[in-house]
Amino acid sequence: MKKIEKRAWLCLLLAGALLLGSAAFVFRFVANGASWASYLPVFSGQPASGRVLDRDGDVLTWVDEGGVRRWYDSATVRTATLHAVGDAQGRIGTGALVAFADRLSGYNLLTGSYSPLGQGSDLYLTIDARYNYIAYQALNGRKGAVGVYNYKTGEVVCMVSTPAFDPANPPDIQDGDERYDGVYLNRFLSGAFTPGSVYKTVTLAAAIENIGELYERTWTCTGSTTVGDGTVTCPHAHGEQDIYAALSNSCNGVFALLAAEMGEDVLARYTDQAGLTASYSVDGIRTAAGSFALDGLTDNELGWAGVGQYSDLVNPCALMVYMGAVANGGRAAVPELVLRTENALGLPSLPSFTRQTGALIASDTAEALADMMRRNVTDQYGASRFPNMDLCAKSGTAEVGGGQAPHAWFAGFLRNADVPYAFVVLVENGGSGADVAGSVAAQVLDAVVNGY
Amino acid sequence: MLLQWLTDNPQFCAWFTTLVRFLFPILALMILIRTIHSLLTVPCLPEVWAYLTLPNGAQEPLTHWENILGRGGSSDVILNYPVVSRQHAALIRRAEDTWTAYDLGSKGGVTVNGKAVEGSAPVQYGDVVALGGVETVLLPLSPEEKAQRRQRRREHRPVSPWLGLILLTLFQVLTAVQLTISEGENATVMIPLTFLLLTGVMWLYFLVLRASRRVGFEMETIAFFLSTLSLAITASSNTGELFKQFLCVALGLAGFLILGVFLRELDRAKRIRWLMAGAAIALAAVTLLPGVPTQYGAANWLTIAGISVQPSELAKICYIFAGAATLERLFHRRNLGLFILLTGAVLGCLALMSDFGTAAIFFVTFLVIAYLRSGDWATLALICGGGVFAVLTMLSLKPYILRRFATWGHAWQNASTGSGYQQTRTMASAASGGLVGVGPGEGWLHNVAAGDTDLVFGMLCEEWGLVIALLAVGSVITLAVFAVRACRAGRSSFYVIAACAATSMMVFQTCLNVFGAVDILPLTGVTFPFVSNGGTSMISSWGLLAFLKATDTRPNASFAIRLPSRREDRKNAALAPQAGEEWEVEHEEN
Repeated sequence: MKKIEKRAWLCLLLAGALLLGSAAFVFRFVANGASWASYLPVFSGQPASGRVLDRDGDVLTWVDEGGVRRWYDSATVRTATLHAVGDAQGRIGTGALVAFADRLSGYNLLTGSYSPLGQGSDLYLTIDARYNYIAYQALNGRKGAVGVYNYKTGEVVCMVSTPAFDPANPPDIQDGDERYDGVYLNRFLSGAFTPGSVYKTVTLAAAIENIGELYERTWTCTGSTTVGDGTVTCPHAHGEQDIYAALSNSCNGVFALLAAEMGEDVLARYTDQAGLTASYSVDGIRTAAGSFALDGLTDNELGWAGVGQYSDLVNPCALMVYMGAVANGGRAAVPELVLRTENALGLPSLPSFTRQTGALIASDTAEALADMMRRNVTDQYGASRFPNMDLCAKSGTAEVGGGQAPHAWFAGFLRNADVPYAFVVLVENGGSGADVAGSVAAQVLDAVVNGY
Repeated sequence: MLLQWLTDNPQFCAWFTTLVRFLFPILALMILIRTIHSLLTVPCLPEVWAYLTLPNGAQEPLTHWENILGRGGSSDVILNYPVVSRQHAALIRRAEDTWTAYDLGSKGGVTVNGKAVEGSAPVQYGDVVALGGVETVLLPLSPEEKAQRRQRRREHRPVSPWLGLILLTLFQVLTAVQLTISEGENATVMIPLTFLLLTGVMWLYFLVLRASRRVGFEMETIAFFLSTLSLAITASSNTGELFKQFLCVALGLAGFLILGVFLRELDRAKRIRWLMAGAAIALAAVTLLPGVPTQYGAANWLTIAGISVQPSELAKICYIFAGAATLERLFHRRNLGLFILLTGAVLGCLALMSDFGTAAIFFVTFLVIAYLRSGDWATLALICGGGVFAVLTMLSLKPYILRRFATWGHAWQNASTGSGYQQTRTMASAASGGLVGVGPGEGWLHNVAAGDTDLVFGMLCEEWGLVIALLAVGSVITLAVFAVRACRAGRSSFYVIAACAATSMMVFQTCLNVFGAVDILPLTGVTFPFVSNGGTSMISSWGLLAFLKATDTRPNASFAIRLPSRREDRKNAALAPQAGEEWEVEHEEN
């Protein structure tokens, strides 16, 4: 009998496995419960309770007494806020209805998604529906993304991604429908695109710290510059220029030479430092990380990479944060989309603390870069287009090949203490950055800074 | 009338639901913690059946019905003499207090009163049993000592069941009301009536057994608690099946009693092992016979006169019965040949039905029994090798099974296909219940196919909360720990093997059910013992519990163990007068 008694440990082994597995489940339950629970409304088709409001308190979506989801009554506002709010089917994973479902339902570990009060919470987004409306109108049917945020507090006041649709009347979208290409993707948070010349702000930051006598140097642009064993071309000859003029002219030749001179390791280091290859957590939503294949390039390839071409890809949100860091002495606030939540009793959530990025750029360098970006506006883009704004910006016209028009970019920030905003505008295949994307930026910023 | 009042007062209903959500976990904890604690800390004082005097004058107690005598450290009575083999002889007690000595192929041989033992020979009290010339004498316990021992063991009595029973009754009443509320306007008297019957059956069982001087009720408390959850799950997902599920609880309880009483007599149990082996194969094979009506596309359901049963569930009980063996038999037939044959036949039938979850449960149970019987790693390794080969063969014949494993661990990436569909919905529902659950009958997961059976853990989490779901799992673990601890005071290896096999079966089945539902393992589609909605599964769970009950050798604890007659008891009490009556009186007060 003693023998069999000793062999009984095998049963304990099985019981131990059950115990261990249950512990693993409990761990997952505690760690991921909020995220798991957020899918139930999608699975069950019963909308999660709770209202989504913009920062001014405009109710963007709610569930009526019959358990049916309702939306704001302007179709354009609904479409313009689609990617911020989400759709009823939960296809837009970064929309508030999915991404913040736990806060909407008032999820907590103790009572799950069903609060004892039986009602959901009010979720105030940081965006202003009006800015979204203006940005959406300004994009005028073109695909792209617009983001504006306060680099001191992190509040994203405008976030639009197009194409979009009206969540109250979702279209029947067929695979391969050009009009709705990538419609469920929030291009601002989850996209990555060829940056073109906006990336020169990174190359320049590296050059300021690594190229001796940068400000004394001059270059002569003939429209085609030999870099390594090939050429790097500009749209037209820029003639003789110093570094200030090279930036405002956005001279590819000069920046390709600088990149080749510094080498890929230096460029890679500054790109990583700028946060362009990292992913941010925007209230728990992971942004897409950009990618820069700065490894094993020839000098010519490196030259093209240094002007934001070659295989460079950047995420619009990460670029906007970098702009904020340039404005803010090297560090910026990490973007946020949730202003606050109020539960059914009207009790507000605990205030969330603004998180700061690491040093994306050295403080002195940021100041020098900001001044040069200011000169872009005064010399090239036209300060009159941006009234009452101490605007610093860089345009980009990113060649995408395939016979398609280039992506138009416009990114920058305001140095005004009362409106500390950084922004990014991307118009896919939009053409000239300064004209097309710049005018979208002008309309949105005018609303943000000057009001109606 | 009450139903009408409930529909007229939605405000009260909302408050009630909110309140009981928090009350249920507290009640469940109060019901189970004492019970679980009592089972986990069972002192398991061994009983003494006789004494063996050694040449040096020492008296060794024989604490089991089956004792191995030898030089080896794992012998029950260690005789440290060079002439004694490691495992020399066995002394086995049969019914009516008769003993038999077995020569286990020793070098020195065994004699009883000087006569050499060929195989086995009966031993009377006072006889001299010599092992390789080392003489021992078998002596009975004096009646005084018997009485004293019984008394001493009684001091460690099981936890009183009454508080738990009253709390469980309250739990059932609240559950019935909450479920009726959740039905809204469709509410009928069906739910309160069925729960009333359950409570009645439960009290009847406790009172009848208490009247027959039984005091250990921990396992039954756990089983009734889990059965209550099962009825609630059934009411939530399919109220129409509620009464059927209750009938199965009653049937299971009856089976539990019959099997337990049957197991009291070891000889009787031993005799029908062959019958049970045959029954196991017959039950596993019956649905494969041509012309037998089956249901749900799967071939593991049998429909007789409108009643669907899963014979493979009942085969579990027969299989364990057939697999358990007394020590006597273990020495008589050392190899596992016939048992392997039985296992092969059962597994073959299950594989033909594509019921691989159940097949896996049988295989693990087989491993446990085989190890307990042989203790031989080499055999087990060989068997496992065979198992792997069988699985590979099957996969090559039925490659679609592999697809189940393709999404394993990636349920969220495959939320709309295959088992990922069910698993993601299980996890989403489970999480939305939080720690306290949304309230019985208020969940959503029952809308998903197999929500109340294979995914029942998700339903438990959603409607009852993580705390109660974990308590259900903890109850199963408790039974396993109890079975292992009870080995120490086990009377016969038959009971020990059966109990260990039964709990291993329940534990492994719970593993497959719980981990399959939440994507820690692939979804195999087996039931949670006691909890899942399913009649045959409920009956077989109660049946398996009988094997555990038969190892509970605490005095007066288990009905599956024969009590001394009242006359004998009175005689004992007279011999040890200091505590006898007192104990009875004291116990009545509880």
